[in-house]
Amino acid sequence: MPHAAPSTFTGAVDVIAVLVLLTEFAMLRAPMLRSQVRLYAFQSLVVTALAIVVAATRHIDEIYVLAALSFILKVIIVPRIVLRLLSRAEVSLAGSSAFSVATMTLIAIVMSVFAFFSVGALHLQSTALPSAALAISVAVVLVAFVLIILRSDVVSQAIGFFSLENGVSVASLVVASGLPLIVDVAFLFDLLVAVVVFGVLMRIHHGRTKTLSTDSLDRLKG
Amino acid sequence: MSQTQLAAPVIQALQDLTILFGAPLVSGVIAHVEGRIQGRRGPRVFQPYYDLAKLFRKETVVPEGSSWVFLVGPIIAFSCYLIVPLLIPVLTTYGLPLGYMGDILGGGFILALAGFSVAIAGTESGAPYAQLGASRAMTFGALIEPTILFVVFAVGIITATDLPYALAATVRSSTGEIVRPAHILAAIAFFLVVLADTGRIPVETHSGTLEFGMIDEGRTLEHSGAPFALLRWGSTMKQLILYTILIDVFVAPWGLATDRRPASVVLAIPSLLGKAMVVGCIFAIIDNSFSKLRLFKITEFLAAAFLLAVLAVLVFYLGGG
Repeated sequence: MPHAAPSTFTGAVDVIAVLVLLTEFAMLRAPMLRSQVRLYAFQSLVVTALAIVVAATRHIDEIYVLAALSFILKVIIVPRIVLRLLSRAEVSLAGSSAFSVATMTLIAIVMSVFAFFSVGALHLQSTALPSAALAISVAVVLVAFVLIILRSDVVSQAIGFFSLENGVSVASLVVASGLPLIVDVAFLFDLLVAVVVFGVLMRIHHGRTKTLSTDSLDRLKG
Repeated sequence: MSQTQLAAPVIQALQDLTILFGAPLVSGVIAHVEGRIQGRRGPRVFQPYYDLAKLFRKETVVPEGSSWVFLVGPIIAFSCYLIVPLLIPVLTTYGLPLGYMGDILGGGFILALAGFSVAIAGTESGAPYAQLGASRAMTFGALIEPTILFVVFAVGIITATDLPYALAATVRSSTGEIVRPAHILAAIAFFLVVLADTGRIPVETHSGTLEFGMIDEGRTLEHSGAPFALLRWGSTMKQLILYTILIDVFVAPWGLATDRRPASVVLAIPSLLGKAMVVGCIFAIIDNSFSKLRLFKITEFLAAAFLLAVLAVLVFYLGGG
C-alpha cells in the first residue's frame, strides 16, 4: 500500500533537514577552505529558517529569539571570524586528504544509513514528531564526524565541529522545541567558546608549521 | 458514448511516432537556444532533420577487418529506442496494453542494451578513439547504474509498484506528494542521471571535437552513412525518452491525455514536445554556465547523484517522508 503523503509541516521540516544534511555532504567535497566556511554559513541560515518554521507552526515565541541569536552568531559572526583568520593564514586550498572525494562520500553515506537505522530502531512513533528529521539530524552529526576525521586540515575540523552543533540544534528544534531558551542560548555560547579555541588552535598551528594541514602533526619534532 | 475513440494500438503507435519524429526537433531547438546563449545565431531548428536526410544519402564505409557487428549495432540500438516509448507514459495518463509489458527496470534494461550495442559496434571498428569512447561509456554507465536502481527503489516504495504510470498518477494526486523530500530527492537524482546520460556538461561536452574528452560521442566516430544517421537519430531519441521520463513521471506529469478522444491525444503531442523543449533549455543553460569536469572527477558528480538517490530511499523508508 502506498504511504500517505506527509503533512505540510512534516514535509517542510524534512526538506529543510535534508538541505542541512546535503550541505554537510558538500563540505566533504569543498576544496577551497573559504567555500567551506561559506557552506557553514549557508547551513546555519537553513537551520535558522527551520527555527522560524517551527516557531511559526507551534506558536512558541521564544524560538524567534533563538532564531535571531543563531542568525547573528552562526551566519554572520562565526564565519566572519574564521574567514579573517584564513585571510591572515594566506592558505586557500585544503591539502589532499587520505581518501578521494567519492570514497569519502560513500563512507558518509554508510554513516547516514547507520544513523537512519539506529533512529529507526528506537521505534519512536509520534504523529507530532517528524521522525525523518530526527534521523537526518543524527546523520548530520555522524557526517560531521566523518568530515573531522577524514579531512586533514584545521579549518575542516573546526567547521566540522561547528556544523556538528548545527545537527544538534536541528534535533533539539524538532524533538524538544519547548526546551527552555536558556539551554539553547547556553549551546550557542558553547559554540562561541569553541570558535575561540579553534581560532587559537589555527593561529598557533599555522605559526608553527606555516600550513593548515594536520599531516605534519604526526612527527615528533615540528 | 457517441464520441469517436482512438483504438489502443493507434495511440501506441502515436507514442512511438512522437518520439521518432519529435526527437530531432527537440535537439534542434536546444542547439538553437544554445547558439543564442553563446551569442551566435545558432543553427536552424530543423537542422537535425536535414543532417539525417543528408547522412541517409551518403555511402557507408566500413573499416577494414570489422565484422557484421559494426553494422548491426546501430540497428539494434535504434530498435531499442523504438521499444522504450511503449513502456513509459508519453501521451496518456492511463496505461496502454503494451505499457505493462515491462516496468521501469525493463525500460532501463532496454536502454542499457542499446548502449551496449552501440559500444560493441564502436569497439568492433578497431579504431582507438571509438574504443576509448566505448570503454568509457561502459565504465561510467556502470557507475550511473546504482543511482538509477535507487531512484527505481524510491519510486517503488512511494507507489508500491514499479510502473512509471503509477508514479505519475501519485504525483498528480496531491501537492503533498510533490513536496515530500523522497520525491524531490529522487527527481533531482534522476535529473543528474539524465544530465550524465545525455552527454551534457559537467560530464561531457556534446558539441566538441576533442576526442580525449569524449565519452558517448567517441563511440560513433568510425560510423558513416546510414548507420551513422541511425546512431545520431537514436541519440536524439534517447535524449527525448529520458526527458519524457523526467517530465511525465517525476516533474510535471500534467497535460497528458486523460481519455481516448482524438483531440486530447493529439493535443498531448505538442504539450510533451513543448515541455521537453523547456527542459532542454534548462539543460542548455546548465551547459553554458558550468565547466566540464575532469574525467576522473566525474565519479564525484556520480557520487553526488547516488547520495541523493540513497537519501530519497532512506528518508522515505525509515522516516516516512
